[in-house]
Amino acid sequence: MTDFLHFFNALRKYAFLQRALVSAVVVGIICSLIGVFILLRRMVFLGQGIAHSAFAGAALGLLLGIDPLLTILLFSVFSAISIGYVEEKKLVESEVMIGVIFSFFMALAILFIGMMEVYSTDVISILFGNILIITQERLILFLIFSAMILLLLFMIKKELFFMTFDIELAEVSGVPVRFLTYLFLVMVSVTISVSLRAIGAILVFAMIITPAAAAYQWTYHLNRMMILSVFFGVFSAVFGLYLSYTFDLPSGSTIVSAVTAIFVISFLFSPKRMASKRTIQECPYCKDYLLEGEECQRPECIAAGILHRHIDHEISIDKKHLPKKKPTKHDH
Amino acid sequence: MTITKQKVKETIYQPLEKGEPVICLQDVAVAYQANVAIFDINLDVYPGECLGIVGPNASGKTTLLKTILGALKPIQGSVQIFGDKFSPKTSHMIRSKISYIPQLQAIDRNFPALVEDVVAMGRYSKAGLFRPLNSEDWEKIYEALEAVGMKKLAKRPIGHLSGGQQQKVMIARALANEPEILLLDEPTTALDFKMVRSVVDLVKKLHEERELTIVIVSHDIKLLREYCTRIAAMDKKIVWKGDPHDPDLDIIIEEIFLR
Repeated sequence: MTDFLHFFNALRKYAFLQRALVSAVVVGIICSLIGVFILLRRMVFLGQGIAHSAFAGAALGLLLGIDPLLTILLFSVFSAISIGYVEEKKLVESEVMIGVIFSFFMALAILFIGMMEVYSTDVISILFGNILIITQERLILFLIFSAMILLLLFMIKKELFFMTFDIELAEVSGVPVRFLTYLFLVMVSVTISVSLRAIGAILVFAMIITPAAAAYQWTYHLNRMMILSVFFGVFSAVFGLYLSYTFDLPSGSTIVSAVTAIFVISFLFSPKRMASKRTIQECPYCKDYLLEGEECQRPECIAAGILHRHIDHEISIDKKHLPKKKPTKHDH
Repeated sequence: MTITKQKVKETIYQPLEKGEPVICLQDVAVAYQANVAIFDINLDVYPGECLGIVGPNASGKTTLLKTILGALKPIQGSVQIFGDKFSPKTSHMIRSKISYIPQLQAIDRNFPALVEDVVAMGRYSKAGLFRPLNSEDWEKIYEALEAVGMKKLAKRPIGHLSGGQQQKVMIARALANEPEILLLDEPTTALDFKMVRSVVDLVKKLHEERELTIVIVSHDIKLLREYCTRIAAMDKKIVWKGDPHDPDLDIIIEEIFLR
């Protein structure tokens, strides 16, 4: 408890911690929202590939002495688009392509780091993330990018959803599938690029996929899944920041540990997993669908049920109301 | 002289004269890379008719439907829908009048979509890109659910429904678009006998009540004979067209299926 109070006091006092909190919340929001669609479109490894190419971009930026964000964006967008192109043209299996790109960019990153004359601590902070050293300018840039991604995501949400459900059907229904796929890939790479500082290249991907995977365990509704995913993402980012500050641990790993714990709990208590394989019931007489535990309330179906039990002499039933199909099982 | 937007619209949206075909394929050939899937396709579909297309597996039936939908470009010949060819200007108008019901595929049991969400997808092309659905759209969505008798299950997850129920939802999705033409690709595959009846009766009812033009692709000739007003038999090209009860059809069917 005192740890919490200490954390809140520090929050009021230190600007760097406030910036860290804001970026944690925003990382939590954009990563977990983008993650919902990555998960549903089954592009899980794509994110991993992009994150590694982003790291190579960072290394190049540091080597050349220019702003790493530029080279990060360049590398990640390039790799995302090339993966998308290969997948679209079905040149090779996308998993193979991602595997190749993934290792190649890692090799590039190591090459660039090896070429550096002075070993930069920035490399470590980009690889593992350090949310506590985000500067004011960096934060503003980060907020602008995040706002753009959020806006775009909500604009194309329904089309993205259609594409995750059935991409071919979406295409013949007039959804510009090709354009939206590339747009989405660019959005994923920008999200990864801007989140790199906070979480790090190795772990950023966990922040994208894990909140969405946890939310998926709880609901059958897309909007609820998005809200839950954001909630899990933001909660674990803030809680991870708290752990990172209080116990002086790397922020990336505390955030990812928190979100993984949420996933494990969600998986264990998932109502989807626990639900038996119920199918929809129908009334044996009129064939109308019934909700769970519901009985058909139509007079003719009730009458048919009563007739079935051979007590029809007690009530009069107009024969024309009876369904054509009579019950087959007798219960006397 | 400048051409106003309205004028362009008028020239595109010219109404068809009576008796003109709504779908007109002339000398169409479609290929996947070097493999020709269908060729020599000459087919007219008239308003209000229910055309059945029968053929064995890999005879190009689905390819034909996708060509009509504009998803595949012919390497030869012309495809006209409502008298228009597919172009960036006309494709939106054409697609808002055609609904396609694909062959039923297994839907992930846990997929986060309710029945109403799936039907809502049918309204997306009407609503347009970047715009959310409004209350009128939702009215149409529920009307479509009502028409297929699935309103009660609107809030159920789509993965929890049986195959036949899912097929009905897909039909509702197609109806939500308020189409004039309905294209069905093997609507009864993987359904049990009772469900086949139920789905096909529903399609027949829609055809009669809404005067929809329907094209059904199937390998089940019995079913097509019972419900269609005309049948085309195909095996990469259209080998026969005519009345469903024509005795010639039996010979043709035997030929293309046993080849």
